[in-house]
Amino acid sequence: MKMKIHNVSMTYPGGKEALKEISLNLESPCLTGLLGPNGAGKSTLMKLLTAALLPTSGAIYMDGQPIIKNIQSLKAQLGYLPQDFGLFDELTVAQFLDYMAALKGLRDHKTAVEETIQAVSLEEKKTARIGTLSGGQRQRVGIAQALLGNPPFLIFDEPTVGLDPEERIHFRNLFSKTAQNRLVLLSTHIIEDVQSVCGQIIVMNQGRILFAGPPEKLIQKASGHVGVFFEKSFAQEDGLHITARVNTSQGIRCRAVADRLPAFARPEEPTLEDAYLYLISREVAK
Amino acid sequence: MIRIFKYECRRLLWNKFFFGFFLVTLFYGWQILTNVTILGVSRTAPFSPWSFGDYLCRMIPLLWIGALFFLTFFHSARARRAAVLTNTAPAHPGKYAFARCAAAAAGTGLLMLAALAEAAVFYGGYFGWHNWKTLAQPAFISLAPPLIFALGSGWCLGKIKGWLLYIWMLVPFVCMALPLPEKLGIWNGSFFSEYPKTLGTLDPEFSLPAATAVFQGVILALGILLIVRGVAGKEQKRDR
Amino acid sequence: MRGIRLFFLELRRLLKSRITWLVIFLTVLSPAAGLFLYKPASSTMLSIYLANPSIAGGLTGGVLFGLLTVYELDRAGRSCTEVLLNAAVSPLRMAMVHLAALIGTAALTLAAVMTVWLPVSRAMIGSVFDAGDYVLAYLIFMGLALPLGILAAAAAFQFTCRSDLSLVLFAVFAGLSLTVWAENWQFCWLNPSVWALSDDFSNLRIYRSAAYMRFTWLAGLGGVWTLSWICIRQYGKGLWGSFVRNARRIYRPVTALLLAGCSVMAFVGQPMVDRSNPDETVFSLDEIPYLEEVVCSGRSARVFPDTSAGTVAGQAAYQFQNTSGKKQKVDFAVTPGYRISSVQVNGKDAIYELGDYQEYNEAVLEVEIPEEKAAEVTVEYGGFPRENRNMSSMQGSREISREYLCLENAALAPRLLNVQPDEGMYPAVIEITLPDSMTVIPFGTAEAEIVKKQDNGTSTWRYQDHGTGGIVYAGDYIRQDIEAGGIDIELYYGRSHQKIMETAGAAEAVKTVVDYCTEHYGTLAFGSGGSLKLIQSRVSGGGYAAAGASLLDETDFTAANLTDSRKGAGYGEVMIHELVHQWWGLGCMFDNSDGTDPWSAEGLTVYTTFRIAEKLYGEEYAEKNYLEQWRQAAEEYYLNFYVRNPEYLAALPEDRQLEISNSLEYVRQYCEMPLKIRKAEELVGGEEAMDQILCSLFSRELDPAYPYLTYQDFLDACGLKEEDLNLDQNI
Repeated sequence: MKMKIHNVSMTYPGGKEALKEISLNLESPCLTGLLGPNGAGKSTLMKLLTAALLPTSGAIYMDGQPIIKNIQSLKAQLGYLPQDFGLFDELTVAQFLDYMAALKGLRDHKTAVEETIQAVSLEEKKTARIGTLSGGQRQRVGIAQALLGNPPFLIFDEPTVGLDPEERIHFRNLFSKTAQNRLVLLSTHIIEDVQSVCGQIIVMNQGRILFAGPPEKLIQKASGHVGVFFEKSFAQEDGLHITARVNTSQGIRCRAVADRLPAFARPEEPTLEDAYLYLISREVAK
Repeated sequence: MIRIFKYECRRLLWNKFFFGFFLVTLFYGWQILTNVTILGVSRTAPFSPWSFGDYLCRMIPLLWIGALFFLTFFHSARARRAAVLTNTAPAHPGKYAFARCAAAAAGTGLLMLAALAEAAVFYGGYFGWHNWKTLAQPAFISLAPPLIFALGSGWCLGKIKGWLLYIWMLVPFVCMALPLPEKLGIWNGSFFSEYPKTLGTLDPEFSLPAATAVFQGVILALGILLIVRGVAGKEQKRDR
Repeated sequence: MRGIRLFFLELRRLLKSRITWLVIFLTVLSPAAGLFLYKPASSTMLSIYLANPSIAGGLTGGVLFGLLTVYELDRAGRSCTEVLLNAAVSPLRMAMVHLAALIGTAALTLAAVMTVWLPVSRAMIGSVFDAGDYVLAYLIFMGLALPLGILAAAAAFQFTCRSDLSLVLFAVFAGLSLTVWAENWQFCWLNPSVWALSDDFSNLRIYRSAAYMRFTWLAGLGGVWTLSWICIRQYGKGLWGSFVRNARRIYRPVTALLLAGCSVMAFVGQPMVDRSNPDETVFSLDEIPYLEEVVCSGRSARVFPDTSAGTVAGQAAYQFQNTSGKKQKVDFAVTPGYRISSVQVNGKDAIYELGDYQEYNEAVLEVEIPEEKAAEVTVEYGGFPRENRNMSSMQGSREISREYLCLENAALAPRLLNVQPDEGMYPAVIEITLPDSMTVIPFGTAEAEIVKKQDNGTSTWRYQDHGTGGIVYAGDYIRQDIEAGGIDIELYYGRSHQKIMETAGAAEAVKTVVDYCTEHYGTLAFGSGGSLKLIQSRVSGGGYAAAGASLLDETDFTAANLTDSRKGAGYGEVMIHELVHQWWGLGCMFDNSDGTDPWSAEGLTVYTTFRIAEKLYGEEYAEKNYLEQWRQAAEEYYLNFYVRNPEYLAALPEDRQLEISNSLEYVRQYCEMPLKIRKAEELVGGEEAMDQILCSLFSRELDPAYPYLTYQDFLDACGLKEEDLNLDQNI
């Protein structure tokens, strides 16, 4: 599957410009991580990809065809977990998934439901009413409905919100496995999730794409801009973007990114988080 | 879509709202039957089509409210949040909406059946009367047009704004307060008590003046049209 | 203290909401609905311009505040702030704060309504405006509806935790009050049974009744709300789990039970109406056989009405001659609501029993008198007189205040039931002590005079009368003397009504009616040297007459009637009707032993009233307001399903049978019979011929063995047979 976003802009009726002429190519198999601060335009991009919104200008193509003319085909190949969604509290987990399976027109719906319930580890809760589930469990139901029917194109908006660390790792691996033969777009704030599984990263800010490419390339960009030092006074932190502050026996050890590192800071190998923060801080400074 | 219909019915009918509403319908119906219908309307028997029609007219506001409440299951803010998921499914939106509307109709039909069954129990218990065939026509004339119209108009209004459904619930009460023309008598309950008196015979057979029949027919057709248009039309796009 | 702070915080928040202001605005406007749309009360200025607006305001305001309550209670869940709020304040405390803030808003709204509508009401009601009535009407008819709406809606929400189901429950609860419960004064929580307010006299009895109903519901809904409050979901538990958890503090369920218990007790033990037999065709009290060899030689009563509390206390004494030589049981009729504190016979405590059975607003007190020849029975009684439950939707007749009082028969003193009189015909001396401002008017030929003035601002009046019962009116009356038909007429009416009576030409109206009857039927028996009292009563929807007195309903002459162009400066028919009863219906004119007989005093009286109305207001008016109405009512009667198919009526439960048959009975006396007389009039040759026949019947020679005017006498005088007067079913 190929998704091509060509010069897409999106301005809401209130005048807010959410996306500014972005272009992007996505091709399966690939797990793409979408990063960016709040209000960067990530959710808008995903809504455009699911045809829940229409772009103000530009076009999105699926396998060379504009999706606006092939919405049914897009939906038939799409699994989507929005950031904010509701479930039918009156139904049980299995009933809800069966409901969604019916909507997706899955033939072997029973097997599909069983498989997804297993995939999201909700076997124990499959006969429980959704209204009685915890936040994490509801999130897992959301992921399950997206996975139903093994769609070739999956979009997950903040999928690991509300999940405990163990579950996060489980789902991270699940997404990675799923992406072996599919196109998966994963939007998250948790950089650790992206770093471990994503083959490609897109960083967005203020409706623009700041970076698109493999994580190593992003990390490379921050090389020489990350340093550590022991904090002596707050004045010395001017012009630095502190990314971590750790209490040690020698004092408070600070990790910072900056365009030009000060002399008292010892250069360090950047992580993906450092690289992302460096990219964003540079954008803010501009 | 049968499975969707089944699950929507489960959502609508297997909850405390439906059970509560069902009990309230029975209670209210019994109060009307034992206090008002028992006296008979227009000099006719309590089990005449006219008295029965009068009973149904008095039940219409409650059934109307019930029908619109069922629609709130699909048009409330909570329902819109769930629609984010269902809208991405490849199901035909028209068929999907039709299945849901059918579930609301099934709920309304169940409430209607409860009101009818209650009247049967009342007539059997108080008068030993069971000749139900004679009541089919007034039942259809008085219930079908307003309730189908409620579903159709409610569906369309709910799509615009969920809260419009609550405002729409007041329509039967407004009709009762307004001095409607004779032809619309079914809508303020005056038809069944006034029209038989104009027929000039005692215990007249059930009949309908052409104008009322046409009006009820128009309402029924309008209801069906609104349902078709409502379920076939596009859902309102939510921006965020 | 924290609760109070939260209350003001919540109140401020509520008052910042646009929805709240919309509800307040609509509630302030809502009394206008009583002027145009919802008009349960009629006849008087206060009914039209005070009772109707305040009841409509209560109805609308109650519903609006109920809706606002559901909206507000659902707000936290809707906006997902419930978790945050519950973390800061206990949901139980918050529910109380919500309730208090909503009731506080309702109180502010009521104050706004009363301020806005005061000048409007004052201008519309005119000279009979009374500030006390205004305040009480708005507080009771409107104000108390608002917290009831709030409590009901809040309880529904707290039980169900669903706004949709709460709205349905609330709508049905309100709908029942407006429809099937509307005729039941205790059930109609939203729209109290107020059929009329008096312009000229006080209305305390009807306010008491409405307030009693409202407080009964307040306690009941308070209990239900408390129960729902205990069920507020906490700790992730459901309804039952939360109830069990919250009910651990025992004062909570105890409060709910106490409130609900108080309500049930208040409902069951209500002091306003009695338990009279709903079958109004039964007259068992009048059918108690007279004791043989016992006669009553006289009676006296000292009555002390408490005009503040609306109660009566009294002591009545009865003198008997028992020649049987054995013990006898004497029966008295007592107004339900009165308690008998002591009964003595010849100065010693006697055996007595106050029965449970009640009929036509009377219960039976049975007293045993000894074998001795002379026995004096003294009964001490008192209490809050109840009204007939069969008229419960038209309460107000037992008004007792500083402005007005009417004590009828057993309400004045126990009425003797089963002892015949001696030659003195039950001579009675009645003393009644009332505030100085009140004038006492016995309903009949007796005249009352002040025998003692007390220092506490009360006077004791005394009058002498005959009979087992007796009626007395008292109030701030003025008297106008009129001469008509050869008799002196004393016209008594309320002082505040003077202007209207003069403008309406009340004296002239009375004269016209009396002259008409005298001219057409003959002079009244007590005509030479006798006098007739015409006493204005507070609005009662009807009246009665006795030898020497007739009632004049205050609605006969009202400012509203004066502006009725159909009658010119007209007056009401109750006065005419009751004056005509002086000719048709008193003394031995009709045999009343069968109260269901269509031939009664009412037939001829209603017919004559029609004739007078025809003369005064013209044929068109009489045709429309009398003949047409009779025809319609009689036709409805003949064609009624149960009249045509009595087997179905017989199959119904007894209470339903009575309800239906009672509603049909009056038509035969008040509509069918006048129509038959009208038909007779046509058959005998017209109005003049009928007048001559009626004149001959009025002045006929009486048969002492059976002095009554029978239907057969009437038919014979007309030269007709019973079947000649049968009416077509299609009248």
